[in-house]
Formats: sequence, C-alpha cells, structure tokens
Amino acid sequence: MPLKSDEPWYKHAIIYQVHVRTFYDSNGDGIGDFPGLDEKLDYLSDLGINTIWLMPFFPSPLRDDGYDISDYYSVHSSYGTLEDFKKFLVSAHERQIRVIIEMVLNHTSDQHPWFQQSRSSQENPRRDWYVWSNSDTGYSEARIIFLDSEMSNWAWDPVSKSYYWHRFFSHQPDLNYDNPAVREEMWNVMKFWLELGVDGFRLDAVPYLVEREGTNCENLPETHAILKELRHKLDEQFPGKMLLAEANQWPADLRPYFGDGDEFHMAFHFPLMPRMFMGVKLEDRKPITEILRQTPEIPASCQWCVFLRNHDELTLEMVNEVERDYMNDSYAQDKAMRLNLGIRRRLAPLLDNDRRRIELMNGMLMSLPGTPSIYYGDEIGMGDNINLGDRNGVRTPMQWSGGWNGGFSVAEPEKLYAPLIQDAVYGFPAVNVLSQKRTQHSLLNWMGRLIAVRKTTGAFGSGSIEFLYPGNQRILAYVRQLGEEQILVVNNLSNAAQAVELDLRRYKGNILIEMFGQNIFPRVGELPYLLTLGPYQFYWFRLRKI
Amino acid sequence: MAQESFLTDDFLGQLISVGEVDILVGVPTHNNAKTVGPIVETIQAGILRFFPRERTAIINADGGSRDGTPQLVVSAAIGDAQSRSKLYALRTLRSISTEYASSPAGGTALRTILAAAELLRAKACAVISPESTTITADWLAALLRPVYADQFDLVLPTYRRHRFDGILLTNLLYPMTRALYGLKIREPYALEFAFSGRLGSQFLAQNAWNEETARAGSEIQLTLAAIAGGYRIGQSFLGTKQHVERRSADLVPAMRQTVGALFSSLEPNFSVWSGKTGSQPIPTTGAEQEFSLEPLRVNRKRLREMFSTGVAELAAVFQSILSASTLAELQGIAGLDEANFSYSGELWVKTVYEFAAAYQKSVISRDHIIQALAPLFRGRALTFLMENRSGSAANVENNVEALCLEFERMKPYLLEKWNGGK
Repeated sequence: MPLKSDEPWYKHAIIYQVHVRTFYDSNGDGIGDFPGLDEKLDYLSDLGINTIWLMPFFPSPLRDDGYDISDYYSVHSSYGTLEDFKKFLVSAHERQIRVIIEMVLNHTSDQHPWFQQSRSSQENPRRDWYVWSNSDTGYSEARIIFLDSEMSNWAWDPVSKSYYWHRFFSHQPDLNYDNPAVREEMWNVMKFWLELGVDGFRLDAVPYLVEREGTNCENLPETHAILKELRHKLDEQFPGKMLLAEANQWPADLRPYFGDGDEFHMAFHFPLMPRMFMGVKLEDRKPITEILRQTPEIPASCQWCVFLRNHDELTLEMVNEVERDYMNDSYAQDKAMRLNLGIRRRLAPLLDNDRRRIELMNGMLMSLPGTPSIYYGDEIGMGDNINLGDRNGVRTPMQWSGGWNGGFSVAEPEKLYAPLIQDAVYGFPAVNVLSQKRTQHSLLNWMGRLIAVRKTTGAFGSGSIEFLYPGNQRILAYVRQLGEEQILVVNNLSNAAQAVELDLRRYKGNILIEMFGQNIFPRVGELPYLLTLGPYQFYWFRLRKI
Repeated sequence: MAQESFLTDDFLGQLISVGEVDILVGVPTHNNAKTVGPIVETIQAGILRFFPRERTAIINADGGSRDGTPQLVVSAAIGDAQSRSKLYALRTLRSISTEYASSPAGGTALRTILAAAELLRAKACAVISPESTTITADWLAALLRPVYADQFDLVLPTYRRHRFDGILLTNLLYPMTRALYGLKIREPYALEFAFSGRLGSQFLAQNAWNEETARAGSEIQLTLAAIAGGYRIGQSFLGTKQHVERRSADLVPAMRQTVGALFSSLEPNFSVWSGKTGSQPIPTTGAEQEFSLEPLRVNRKRLREMFSTGVAELAAVFQSILSASTLAELQGIAGLDEANFSYSGELWVKTVYEFAAAYQKSVISRDHIIQALAPLFRGRALTFLMENRSGSAANVENNVEALCLEFERMKPYLLEKWNGGK
C-alpha cells in the first residue's frame, strides 16, 4: 500500500525511537528481532506514531550497542535476516508508518573488514580509508567526547604500528572522508537501504566527518560540503526521503546543517532538551524561552526534531557550567547516574515518576516547534537501571506485560540481552503495556490521546511560534499559527496552582476551545485573559472566531 | 495574617505573578533616582553570585517619587556587571514596584515589604537602603546567608563608619538598647538588614500599624520585637558606610523615628528589660565595628549655641521632664565656653533615662519630649566630638564602650525613675 503523499511528511511525523534488540523477541533467544518488531507494529500504530527510527541493527561486535558497525550491508544475525527487515518494512508501510534507520557515517568498528585491511599494511588500497598518523599529537584542539573512557582521540595500533584517529571509543576508528572512495562507498551504503525502501536516515555524529589541523575538527566547511553532496544525490535519486542530523551543537552551530535547505531536512535540537527539564525544576520559563530565542530561523523545508529522552545520556554538553551543576544536583544526585557530561536516566525516573510532570513535559514536547521523538518505553513510564554499565541502563527490554520476562521473551531470564527492570516502582509487574492498555487513564492511553490531539492540527508541525510573556514567569505560553489556524498553549511549570493574566488583545473576539475536552472558554476581550492552572497543568486552546 | 487591603490590586497582581520565593529583597525609596539604579544592579549581582538557584524577587516600595525611581528599579538589569563577572541567571530575575503612598513613610514602606514577604512566603528577606552607594554584592551574602542557611531571624549590619558618623547611634541608641536588653547590638536602627519569614510575619501581625507607626522607625521596632520575642539575632560586617551630611533640621525627625520608637518600646517590653543586667555579645560575622578617622569639618560653635539656647528656651519644659539636679547641671554647662564645655557621660545617661521615664508617664506630649531632647543631644554630640577629635580608632571605641557601661551601670536609676516619681 503506497504511503500518502503529504510532503514534507517529516514535519508532521511523530517519531518513535526503538532498538530492535529491545522491543520484542520472537524466537526466544533473549534478544529482540525484526519479526518481533513486526508483530508489535499494531501497538505502535495504535499509539499513533507514524515514524519509526531504528537504532543500528547491522552486524557489529556490539561494543557500543551497534554504533560500531562491521558490515553496512546486512542485519545482525541476532536481529534476524535482511529478509526479515524487508518484511518488517513492508508491514510498517502498510500501516502508514515510515521507517528511518541509523547510519553511522563517521566511523566503523575496528572489526570492520575495511579497517582490518587498512591496518594490515601501509600499501593496502584501503590504508587511506582511515586517518592514520605516526604521532598522537595531531588535531590537538579537538575535544575528547567520551571523557569517562578515553584519554585521547588517537589510539595506537600495534598491527600497523601507527596511530589512528577516533572521536568516540578507540574501537571505533574514524573513516577518512578526504578520500573520495570512502565518500562513494558510504553513498553506496545509503543507496542500498534506500532501494530497500527506508524513508530516511538519522545520520550519526555528523559534525566530525573531516579533520583539519588548527581547528576543533567539528562543523568544518569540508564536512558540510560532503553532507550537501549526499543530500544532492538523495534528492536526485530518492526524492521524498529524509536526512536527520545528530549534531550535539549550539543552535547557531547547528544552523549550517540545514544549509539553504540543501543539507539536512531535520536536526535534533539538543540544547532545548535539558532546558525543558531545567525549566520545570526551576519553575521558570527562562531557560526554554531563552534557548528558543537564540534558535535561528531555518529554511521553510527544514524542521527541528525535539525529544525528551533517547538512547544516550541526557546530554549536558550544550549548557553552561552553572546550568550543568544545577542539572546534576537536581536530577542526578547519585553520581552513578552521571555519565560523561550527562545523566543516564529515563524520563519517568528523572521526573520522580510524577505523572503530572511527565504529562507536562510530553505536552511541551508535542507543542513546541519541531517533530517530536519518543523513546521506546517512555510512553508507559519505564524506569532505568543505573547499575548496568555505560548507557545500557536505559536500553533494557520493553515491558509488555507482568508475566514471564515482562512479555518480552520466552527465553530463560538469564539469556536476555539485558535484565528487565524489576524494582517495585518501575519493574515490569508494575509498569507494562498490557495493564496500561486495560486502564483508561493510564499513561499509555493518555499518550495516545495526546498524539491524536496533536494530529488534529498542522500548526504544531509546521506553524510559527510566538511567545507570550505574562508577568508570571512560571507560565510558559505561546501561540502556534499555521495559516488561519491558531493554537494557544499555556503550561504551568510550577508545582503549585498558578493564576496568569495573558495579553491576548490581538486575538480579541476569538473564543477558546480546549482541545482535549472540546470545552468552550470565554471570549477574548480587551482585558487581560485570566486563567488558573493546577500544578504542572497545561492547556491547548484552539482560537476560533465564531 | 497581613491586612491585604493596604496593598493595591496592581501590586497584588504583580505579587501573584512573582509567586513563592525563597529570598526577597526590599528597597524602600523616595526620589532616589540618582543612586537607586546601580544599587539594584548590585543587588541583582549579589543574588546571582550567592543565591543563583533560589527563587528571588526585588520589591520596591516607593513613597511617591517624582523622579522616576520606580521605573529605574524595575528596568535595572545587570547586563554589564553580568558580563564582567560572568554571572549567569538560571531563573527570571523579578523586580516589581508599588507606590504605597504619595508621600514617604518609612513604616508603611517596611510594612509593604513585610506583607509582600509574607504573601510570597519568603524564607529570608533583606532590606537595602537606596542611598547605600557603597553597597557590594557581598552585602547580600553577609545579610541573607545567616538567615537563609543558618536559621538566624534577624541579621543587622556593622560597618566601618566615620568616628563622627552616627553619633545618635553611638551615644544613645546603641548604649541604651544594650543596657536595656543586655545585647551588644551595634546598629539597632539599621537601613540594611535581613530577617526571616517567621520574624517578618510575626512583626507584621503584632504591630499596630497606624499613622504614627507609619512615620515611626519601624526598623528599630523590628529589632526590638526580635529581642523581645527571643528571636535569633546576629550581626554581619558590611564594610564602609559612607558618611552622609545631614541637615540640622533632620535631627528631630530622626529622633522621632529612633529614640521615640525606643522609648515607646519600654512599656510593653518592661518585663523583658527590667530584670536584665550587664550585656552579652551576639554572633557576629566579620568585624564588630570599625571607625575611620578622616578629617571632617564640624561646626562646634553652632552645636554649643543650639545646646545653650535650647536649655534656656526650654527650661519650663525641662522642669516637667528632668529632675532638679539634672536640670541644674545642664544649666551649669550651658554657660561654659567651648573650651571648657563638657557634657559628661554620666549626666547624659541621667538625662536620657529621665526623658525615657517622662516619656512613659507622658508628662507632656510625647512628641514634645522627643523634640526637647534634641538640643541636649547636640550638647552631648559636641562633647563626643571634642573627646574624640584627636584619638585613635581604638580610643573612639573605648569612649563608646565607656558610655555603654555607664548606661548599664545606671540602669537602676532608670528603674527608679520608671517606678517612682521624679
């Protein structure tokens, strides 16, 4: 069944991020797989999402959860076969669900045959596919990203007796994008998956593709040129497909990734995410309005991708020291929760499992500019396990029921790729899809309703935003507008009930229709519009001139 | 509970917008456009430096300024200071203003700030004078931290003052408060201080706010209420207090606000002070008090003339206030020339205590009693100036200490006058 032509579709996407390994195990080996994911597509369709973002599923030694790819043209055997993937893709498309996949351009696994050949001798044709050096002093201005595990961006290779460049783990050597053969091969990889029918790519770690001496080796013009070249080929050969940038950068540095609408279609708005958490903890809209004020305009065809949590730590790279200290003290008092410059926790535990705050944060996610991305399990309020290393604590099996292995797998529990969350508050007996499906007011059902209401207007996906600045700084209020359609959003960031007077004179004569209950609120007049909101309450109003 | 009716609807609306705060800084103003902007910026810098995570608000209670003072308070932003000191505001910094009356009344200003503090449930509040141009960001920490973090209820300042600055303080308010209540509070009448939410609420509720208290020195009343209520009081050294030239006409209003308030407190607090002997230090951060010795021109001749004229012209009034012996001694020194003039500490203490007793008995109008004390104070001030003209800072301190001990030693004389006849 062909997908509806609703260009640009990514502006109205509701993305669901999932790792195939974590979702559902169809063959009882303890590891989620594509047939399992296929089985659960109706669940995702019922939730209302219309786009799946798959984390890396390629063959890999899995030393970085699949971001260390050893073969770009296949599927990791634990997750099924290429045929299973194709079948899943067809099933998703039948349900009007698009699929974007992860593409790790910057580096491979050190187990990839390309690297094995490259290190084998100076004369190997693939020697120049990676960045080699006789010393470990080059590109000294480049920061180390994984501060907790890496001392240098150079690693010694005893085989070839030279150093290779890596921006992430030392087992992830960076590809050499100055080599045209590398660029050509990576396009071939993308083309392979596009021809299978994927709808786009989330391109991982894009700021680091090219290195230049005397720079921090991030966001270089040469990198942008390579990305533009990929985009050009994509548009030419696969129109309608989408590129999503992972570039953890400040808004001004992110802006070039959109180019003139000729580079990325979408980019994650990394600086916004921690500020949403900060705003709720501070009970003050300032962090949110400030970062959005600093966010530059992007080309009309482009879109931000916004998120609350993902598979990584809640990154605090894009905040200053004062803000970072505050976030750590507020959200990660236990030092074990901290990783690199971030906090490795899921949404519900971050918000003390406070349903009101979880709803408020999701309400903002769905109503602020951008395409929202939901991390699997957050729709039911799954917890995390900080005792698992690295970021594995937020990558535990999906909790489908209160039964055996939480309904994730029929395997012996010891065989699961990771233990299920089992604590009293977040454990699968307490938090699972089955029980929430049966409860009308569960978080899961509420999330479905939220998504459904979002979909009733195009203003959230494509509309402009204008902030109102009422005297009460605990209130975050804005109007989203698309054509004649106007949506007023009012969020109470505070733990206490608040009164707020909104200056809505420019909308005089409109009545307000609350979008969840469809109830009518008084007509807007000359006087300040008085609203009262309960703790962490939010309103979405459609403005109607009747 | 505060009587909210004296707050305007507009101000109430602003308070609703501000919401609950941890720290509130009150700035009472009246035509302070020349100084208030940088002072509010410094307050903001202090908040950002020392209380970056706390919910804060700056509340301006204005007594009808005609020079745009409230606008300056509300629009003050620490842009430059912020970039210089790399301060960063996690939260919105709120400054709001209200005109509590069309003419200044210190008591009403403080009442407005107290009411705002109670409505916003502030845990710690500071009041900062709009004339304190020597303020630094550190003042905020010095005043507020003991309240916010260490459970003090009232933190009063100590300063590095010019030896001839605050003579009313060094010769009456400090020594008499100390002798009465047994606590060495150097600045019982302060224009910069901090208090806890619970003390503020208690004071707001217990004080009978009327026209008289609106004009009276509510600041010293707050100190006395804290003492009488057994609240935890401390002092913090703030550094230099700049010397402000005062007109002689300012003396009587100042005495009404301070000495009047002190005398007024004696009756309701009799059970608190009457049994106390000696005095104890209170917890102090930094120096207790320092004196600076720069040269300062003082018109001694005029002081002596005003004293002598006052003694002569108010003789009939003094007869109803002072004992015959005290009056005779005063008349004696009124005839001395400047070189031989000396209004001793003992006579001064006797004078003050007799005035206090007369005030309690309302032998004449209380306001007249305070007015009548003014020329006598000028005589005592002259002696203080002459005694400390060439001494070191330590000498000045020793002389102040000696006067304090005299007040303490003669406290039974006050009780005698209080309980008996003239």
